[in-house]
Amino acid sequence: MESLTRQHAQVPPPIRRLDPQDPTPAAEAAPERSTNFVAAKRSIAAPQFSIRRMEVDKVSIHYDAKEAVKSVSLPIRQGEVLALIGPSGCGKTTLLRSLNRLTELTAAAKLTGSIRLDDVDIRLIEPTLLRRRVTMVFQQPNPFPMSVFDNIAYVLREQGSRRMKKKVLEPQVHSALQRAGLFEEVKDNLKHPALKLSGGQQQRLCIARALAAEPEVLLLDEPCSALDPQSTAVIEDLIVKLREDVAVVIVTHNLQQAYRIADHVAFMYLGDLVEYNSATRLFNTPAQDRTREYVSGAFG
Amino acid sequence: MEEEFQSQYGPRWSDQRVGRLLGALVCAVVALLLALIVVVFIQGWPSFAHNGLAWFGPGGNVDEQLNVISQSAETGAGYVYTFHAWPLIWSTILIAGGSVILSLGAALFISVFLVEFAPTWMARILAPVVRFLASVPSVIYGLLGVLVLVPFIGNHLISESQKASVAGVISLTGYSLMAAVVVLTIMVAPLMVSIFTDALSSVKPGWLEGSLALGVNRWRTIWKIGVRAARPAIVAGTVLACARAIGESVMLAMLSGSTAFAPNPIDGLIFVFEPSRPLAPTIVKSSDQLSSPPAKATLFAIAAFLLFSAAIFSLTGWAARRSMNKYLAR
Repeated sequence: MESLTRQHAQVPPPIRRLDPQDPTPAAEAAPERSTNFVAAKRSIAAPQFSIRRMEVDKVSIHYDAKEAVKSVSLPIRQGEVLALIGPSGCGKTTLLRSLNRLTELTAAAKLTGSIRLDDVDIRLIEPTLLRRRVTMVFQQPNPFPMSVFDNIAYVLREQGSRRMKKKVLEPQVHSALQRAGLFEEVKDNLKHPALKLSGGQQQRLCIARALAAEPEVLLLDEPCSALDPQSTAVIEDLIVKLREDVAVVIVTHNLQQAYRIADHVAFMYLGDLVEYNSATRLFNTPAQDRTREYVSGAFG
Repeated sequence: MEEEFQSQYGPRWSDQRVGRLLGALVCAVVALLLALIVVVFIQGWPSFAHNGLAWFGPGGNVDEQLNVISQSAETGAGYVYTFHAWPLIWSTILIAGGSVILSLGAALFISVFLVEFAPTWMARILAPVVRFLASVPSVIYGLLGVLVLVPFIGNHLISESQKASVAGVISLTGYSLMAAVVVLTIMVAPLMVSIFTDALSSVKPGWLEGSLALGVNRWRTIWKIGVRAARPAIVAGTVLACARAIGESVMLAMLSGSTAFAPNPIDGLIFVFEPSRPLAPTIVKSSDQLSSPPAKATLFAIAAFLLFSAAIFSLTGWAARRSMNKYLAR
């Protein structure tokens, strides 16, 4: 690292000059994209079962005058992965955050309609209890500034009413790390600072933390957008594995990702739910023109 | 090698020039600080040399010792340096320590409230108010203390029987440890609050949100994640407050009772009503005797001790921050 900076100090940074006579074109024409979305096969098996856990019923969310989500209805099932896709600002993240009442932290947000968890309106559930049953993983990995162990133990300690001994915590921490597929990589240095892990490991630690709360629904807000392809692949495998333990809802910008891991996909546009369908159908034979345009890359 | 790349037609204020200039400035500041420390220690050395470790210990009446020291310059019988600073040091520990501990607790809860729970309008009003309170000149606090707090303590808190019980030793008038600690706390706490609120509100929002999203309530979140992440700044603010508390002189000269007496907690709660005088006000009080060489050496020795204590605080704070940053650094 030090030698690198020294090099920088001595050699002025390269500035590329463009030769006006340079015959090479600036960019090659983008290859034609097939209207049939992905030729790649979906590698995941069909879900073994699906149980309806949450029900989004005609939910609209306003920020002051702006309507971010317009009368959206959706089922959320355990055993399946539900992906929310759509261009930036279409309300998918807002909808996701409303599922565990995180939108309430923004004072201006107002929700109409109802969201039910196992047939109970979530507004009747105390927010901290709800957020333990419906946990969330964010776009930017946000492990706490503590050791790997404490990051997970924090959740357990805060849930327990009494101070928990390390002996009691240890197996629970290990199992959470195992479920997130991180245990083998960090088992020898559980005391290391979590912020020193790689981005992909940090995000899996956040998933482990979310799983340690023993949730029923796991919300993922673009969990891979800050990660490299390899870490993304690891997390995608993990998400598919998790779908039988918890209902998984993932917001993603990455259409290929949605196609790879989701069982059902909801396409939102400007706050409207344009189409809700199984992944294969939504991507290969979309029912709506807007969906077809979006998944074929006509706009985004 | 480097010379070949020097641009001849570039902007005059190249980064290297600015770098050198600022570097020179920093060196000058460091040199000034070193010179200051050296001068103070050299000036104070005779006092330390004559007394040895007894300088820091108890023994005799410090006010009388100071009088003898300053008059010894005129008698012609040779300079007297005998000085045992313990009552002054003890008073400094009690007043500065007490007020820093009190304000640390108060400032923590106030800043947690301001950052996490206060409605926006309230936080918006209180932030500049706190900053202003932190910058009020200490004489004003001293005046208010003399006019309001001291009479209140003297007339209402100290009972006649308490006054009688120590009548032979010291008179309880209201100028007391308590007055000094209360006013110093009011002076120091805003400084801490303003540093703590800045630190707490710059804790990464993702950490707090991450904790909330796991079903931890706001109080536990700000306490376990926010305050924890802000610990380095909390330590830095506390060190600053300590330095201000041991260095405060004018206000303490007005309120502490200005008597070289060491209040003894073993006597029971009455000790908070007893007068004393910390180190810094002693320098202020005796500064008119600087023409007497032994008095000058004694006062500079006190100054050297204060400087040394401030340096120790900074070092302790630095060490504490270093160990805390282990988990915060990426």
